[in-house]
Amino acid sequence: MMGGVQRFLSFLGAVLIALVTRPRYGVETLRLMQVIAMRCIIPVSLAVAPVGAVISLQGVQIFQLFGAERLLSSFLGMAIFREYSPALASVMVAAQAGSSIAARIGTMRVRGQIDALAVMSVDPIRYVVVPGVLACVVITPLLSVLTNILGLFSGWVFAVPLGGIDHGAFMEHLTEQVTAMDLWVGLIKCAIFGTGVGLIAGFLGLAVERGAAQVGKAANDTVVSTIVLILFTDYVFSVALMEAGL
Amino acid sequence: MIRGFPAFVVRAVRAQFSSIPPREVFVPQFVDAGYGSLMLLTILTFFAGLNLAVQSFGPFSRIGAQDMLGMFAGIGGVRELFPVMAAVVGGARIGANVAASLANMKISEQIEALEVMGIDPIRYLIVPRIWAVTLALPLLCGYCNVIGLASAYGGAVYQLGNDPGTFVHQVMEQVSAFDLAAGMIKGAFMGWGVGLISCFHGYSIQKRDGAEGVGIATNLAIVNGAVFCIVTNLLMSWIMYG
Repeated sequence: MMGGVQRFLSFLGAVLIALVTRPRYGVETLRLMQVIAMRCIIPVSLAVAPVGAVISLQGVQIFQLFGAERLLSSFLGMAIFREYSPALASVMVAAQAGSSIAARIGTMRVRGQIDALAVMSVDPIRYVVVPGVLACVVITPLLSVLTNILGLFSGWVFAVPLGGIDHGAFMEHLTEQVTAMDLWVGLIKCAIFGTGVGLIAGFLGLAVERGAAQVGKAANDTVVSTIVLILFTDYVFSVALMEAGL
Repeated sequence: MIRGFPAFVVRAVRAQFSSIPPREVFVPQFVDAGYGSLMLLTILTFFAGLNLAVQSFGPFSRIGAQDMLGMFAGIGGVRELFPVMAAVVGGARIGANVAASLANMKISEQIEALEVMGIDPIRYLIVPRIWAVTLALPLLCGYCNVIGLASAYGGAVYQLGNDPGTFVHQVMEQVSAFDLAAGMIKGAFMGWGVGLISCFHGYSIQKRDGAEGVGIATNLAIVNGAVFCIVTNLLMSWIMYG
């Protein structure tokens, strides 16, 4: 256990040093960004869009108890922008990008390609890990912008045409309670979660030693530990923001 | 990668209902799927319940309903969040294990060896795994409901200063036995789907794919399983509560 923590800290140090010093591999970073964005866009959309629908579906009933259906859209707006879209988009990025980055790096280890890079005096952390981390940091907030829109739209579908709430009232209250701060909080959370995805995937991928079974295990462990990390960080974040009164 | 999935489902489901799964494969799989996920899901649902209370406190106090956390935890948590989380995260863990182990057997020719011995791999390897997930996930969903409600109670009462009596009263009023059963029924359906999806991805890897194939199968099993769970949850909620 302590050995693992120590290895992770020295890995973290190597990544930080690689971030601030040359050489940097910009083209590889851009390529990975494109690959991750293309791979994630469909699963992330499919996973986050139903959440808005579920909030409306259950929310219509709750708010009707008080005769306060008009509040549904402001609740939906806050819940989507601030909490569910960032958290779920990050969970799906962890599932898709995190597991595929870990599996790719693990496969490279098994085939000896990582060692080959080191022999050619290309630092594997610089060339393989750092671009993955940067790509996750940039792509996760971008995807969450998309899922914000999709979540609101699916919430609208289940509130207005299917739930019988007036369209004008829905639109009027939608942005009433949402502040620019909520948007920024969501995006910053995504960037932090994305960093975690990239780092954990890189670390567990490089920890593969040999054998195909370990590749699968690395991909699996990445997803599980990242999701735990995301939920935990989310809680700490929420409490800190609540204490700060934002 | 979707090609061949319908044919696989037909084969697997036919085998699933025409024979009793071999016990020596089913029991370890079931224990791994159920007991093996307990620790992870306990930690996760603990934070999810706290999150549910803390995160809804902000929006609810803006609309003057900060005493309604019990109702929110009852409806939002028990009906939706806790079962879905158990299915998505538990399913990701179990499904990834299933896909990785089947893919690994495939590339190391263990499955061909079974066929040579005249044992049907679908009956011997896949059917017990599907049953294990189908039976374990509903139990995990029920378990997560309990842990999640308890931690939402803790968050609402001890951290946010809600009245304990009001919280319990609202939960008792909102959550019916039907809601708890609905969570477990959802869990069974999601577990069945996750089992079929992860077995398919693990089983369709070929020997020439090598270590890379194991990674691909794991990744596809996790992602498709998670998307399946979330979409199924919406459809089933719509049918049951819409």
